[in-house]
Amino acid sequence: MERASAASHGRKILWIVGIFLLATSVAAAQDPSFYTKWTNYTSANGFPPGEVYCVTVDGNRVWAGTGHGLVLLENGRIQKVFTTKDGLAGRAVMSVAVDRLTGDVWIGTFGGLSRYSGGQFKNYTNLTSGLANDLVYGVAVQGQYLWVATTAGVNRLDTHTGSWSIFNESNAPFEEPWTYGISVGAEKIYFAVWGGGVLSYDLANHYWKPYTDPDGEMELVLYRNQGLIHNIVSSVSWNPDTKTFWASTYFGLSSYDGRNWHNYLTKDSGLPSNFINAVKSRGNQVWACTQKGLSEFNPTTNTWITYRPDAKTGRGEILITRPDGSKRQIASSTTLAHNYILNLDFQGDDIWVATANGLSHGARQPYKQQASGAQSTARSLGR
Amino acid sequence: MKVRSASPAIGGSRPRNLIAGIALVAVIAILGRPSVASAAPQAAGADSGNYIPRSQYLSPVAMTLSADGRWLYIACEDSDLVLAVDTRSQKVERRVHVGRMPRGIALSPGGKFLYVSNEDSNDVTEVDAETFRVRRTLAVGWGPVGLTTDRAGKVLYVANTLGDDISLVDLKSGRELKRLEAGHYPEYVALSRDGSRVYVANLLARVAPVDQPPVSELTVIDTSRQIVAARVDVPGVIQMRHIAELPAIAGGYLLVPFMRPKNLNPLVQIQQGWYLTHGLAAIRPAAVASDGPKKYQVAEVLLDDIDRYYADGFGVAATPDGRWALVTASGANVVSVVDSAKLRHLLQNTPPARQQELANRLDSASQFVVQRFPVGQNPTDVLVSPDSRFAYIANRMDDTVSVVDLGRMRIASTIDLGGPKEISRERRGERLFFNASHCYQGQMACATCHPHEGLSDGLAWSLETPQLGRDVVENRTLFGIDGTSPFKWNGKNPNLETQDGPRTAMYIFRSQGFSPKQVNDLVTYIHSLQLPRNPHLAPNGHLTDAQARGRAIFFRDRTTDGRLIPPLDRCYTCHSPLTRYTSRVSMDVGTATHYDTIHAFDVPQLTGVSTRQPYLHNGEALELEDIWTIFNPEDKHGITSDLNKAQLNDLIEFLKTL
Repeated sequence: MERASAASHGRKILWIVGIFLLATSVAAAQDPSFYTKWTNYTSANGFPPGEVYCVTVDGNRVWAGTGHGLVLLENGRIQKVFTTKDGLAGRAVMSVAVDRLTGDVWIGTFGGLSRYSGGQFKNYTNLTSGLANDLVYGVAVQGQYLWVATTAGVNRLDTHTGSWSIFNESNAPFEEPWTYGISVGAEKIYFAVWGGGVLSYDLANHYWKPYTDPDGEMELVLYRNQGLIHNIVSSVSWNPDTKTFWASTYFGLSSYDGRNWHNYLTKDSGLPSNFINAVKSRGNQVWACTQKGLSEFNPTTNTWITYRPDAKTGRGEILITRPDGSKRQIASSTTLAHNYILNLDFQGDDIWVATANGLSHGARQPYKQQASGAQSTARSLGR
Repeated sequence: MKVRSASPAIGGSRPRNLIAGIALVAVIAILGRPSVASAAPQAAGADSGNYIPRSQYLSPVAMTLSADGRWLYIACEDSDLVLAVDTRSQKVERRVHVGRMPRGIALSPGGKFLYVSNEDSNDVTEVDAETFRVRRTLAVGWGPVGLTTDRAGKVLYVANTLGDDISLVDLKSGRELKRLEAGHYPEYVALSRDGSRVYVANLLARVAPVDQPPVSELTVIDTSRQIVAARVDVPGVIQMRHIAELPAIAGGYLLVPFMRPKNLNPLVQIQQGWYLTHGLAAIRPAAVASDGPKKYQVAEVLLDDIDRYYADGFGVAATPDGRWALVTASGANVVSVVDSAKLRHLLQNTPPARQQELANRLDSASQFVVQRFPVGQNPTDVLVSPDSRFAYIANRMDDTVSVVDLGRMRIASTIDLGGPKEISRERRGERLFFNASHCYQGQMACATCHPHEGLSDGLAWSLETPQLGRDVVENRTLFGIDGTSPFKWNGKNPNLETQDGPRTAMYIFRSQGFSPKQVNDLVTYIHSLQLPRNPHLAPNGHLTDAQARGRAIFFRDRTTDGRLIPPLDRCYTCHSPLTRYTSRVSMDVGTATHYDTIHAFDVPQLTGVSTRQPYLHNGEALELEDIWTIFNPEDKHGITSDLNKAQLNDLIEFLKTL
């Protein structure tokens, strides 16, 4: 009996080892792929000039918020630039959220909140609705509720009853009311608060929980991986696949999986800058929108890939940072419209990126193909 | 604030305010007792020989036909019944009780189930069309009226009038999938012939500045994606109700009855005619869609004749071949028959530059209306049999159905649905309320400006003859006004008898008006109009946290920093809960403009305030927030400047419960 059991156990181990080897060999056989095919929308081809503050994908439509209105692209073509003349609440568009259930598009502007539905705008302002403030940085849809991040706290609009709620320092643990971003999870909603860290709101039990920098220092990180890296949080992203929220700050990147914090700085990661405007995470991908390029981070392999135009030549460069800290740089014939990155969203495997000077659409291509082409070169930078 | 004071000074010293406050409280205490006006319903009951509960009347208001045309199913709003009429025998064969106030009815694609919207119980009753038994009740939004299934019979679309939205219900699970925002007061819906769209007609115009012509919305839902595909502007009109779609061979137009008011002109113009006109919107997708959302072409034609009007269009139906379209004029007790080929010819041969003129021409109906049938009292819905032989018209106020023989173009018969033959005083008043024959050339009934049985139309009107163009005032609701006298914004009418008597004949209807007996009947009916159930208040009356905080603000006597608020500057002083949240006196709250000849206005009751947009005497405040954020800069309308935004939101949450 014991021998039979031991044989069975051995076969199991052999199977496991075999499957592991097969999987790793298949993985090794796959070519790495990078975003090397970039299409840019700038003032040169009819896009509003200057900053693009946000981008949101809605099927084959893409909404981009700029300092000069809201741009609708459909199948990669600019369909319309909506301005206040079309009924938009404000000229500068900071956030866009699409209600997947109703199809309505909610737009946060510096002149209030707009809803675009059936070709018509409807506006909500501080004077004419329960909106806490007209400087709207973030919007997010959670079932029948719309959550709104403003400079004066967080609003919740019940779209069925028209009831507005305000959450600020008077009824929630806001150290600062100035809220930048919102990320909706199944059980909690996360808020990025400028100077106030991250706040979560438990949907079932209706309670708030703050996540703040334990050392409270502006420039120092005294307690690494002990909590949020900094209280000036620019955005937050809940990843339902890994049950982790990511927070971008102006002084580094943080993640929290409910048990452990991980912090990332330029000095010991592939981050090109600690000044991060936004973060978005799905699956094994974490995207950091920094002031010196767009970084893709894979926490499983601990590999960073940064995309940006070279500051001097404007040519594309792809910088790979391996777990051991070694770096490799690949040249790319096309690249992002600007290296100051403000936001991004996914369209299948493609990405749309909001930059300080236009919108960029990136498509991933196998490295092998593009490396064999004349347009790209690679060089190892060592460590 | 001031009580009918000629002095420009507002507020004053604390002792003076206190004295004034005590005096006002005394006035309110006296006025708060049941008045002669508020005793009117009892007066109706005292007429014991003529008192018949409203629920005994049937009031057929919506109909649908079985696919073979054999069965006519009728929703009867006052009796909470659905009737099945055998169209061969023309007898009521079956009946079933549904929810409270059924207002809409639809049949599943296979004809197995009936869906009945119950406006007052906020649900839909599913009835087995064969056994005529209730199968289940589906929860929907607030005030459901019009409804239809999609072509597959999987999703039910329900227009919620009070919620300004549309519930989409999964008919397999019975659960509401989502709500889509509609326009303002969505009432009736129609599934497009190809099943790709659900059209929703909104009764009232979008809430907008009252010095602009109204713009109503036809909401278009894409049934494949179940989202709002378009919000079509229908300019210059309100009160869009039923929808009929002509087949492509007849132009593919959507026909929607409307009322076209000239409310920006003084009401005195009613004696010149052409003040309140009634017609059809003809809407269809543009032949060439430009970029962006699909565009719709909107044309408007009048059904009125130059010297006679067909007030309050309600139902519309087309024959399957699209040759005829029938439109009920619920205020004229008439059905107009439209030759759709002639209508199409007119629309297609009118240059775009003259389309707007067409919407105002009183001489065009003669080009496409081929017949007018007098029918019963207050005709609402109309249907055409699948074989195009007959049309059925529901006569809401006399519990009958008129049957039109479309081959011979004559009334073939009238089906008596039952109900009391004796007409109560209240019912007589209701008939008067909906009848436009009392107005010069039949331009309007009471219900024209108070649609949905007593609602405000949301428009501002220049009513006063001596002050042409001045003293423009917002229309007011008739729901729950019992005990809120005096009436009118200037508070000059001590009771409804005065409001609806000779003054109405002289200034509004420009005709002989009502006899004293008719005035009594009408007043009895108006006093019977109750507020709809308040969806913002929990059934057990418990307030939410926000509502409770708002209540404390409403009844506060100190500012947020502890200062005593003078009695006249407290919410509850002028909006006393003893008298439906009005003090029944006139107050100057600093809202008069240079177009007003008076400065003190009758304090409106706050009950049902959430359904009464816009606000203030002239309708300048489009939202409740505007009252304080825009129109109360000096705290003349109560002290509110100390409230922060969250507190103001709480106050509004409480007001919505009233």
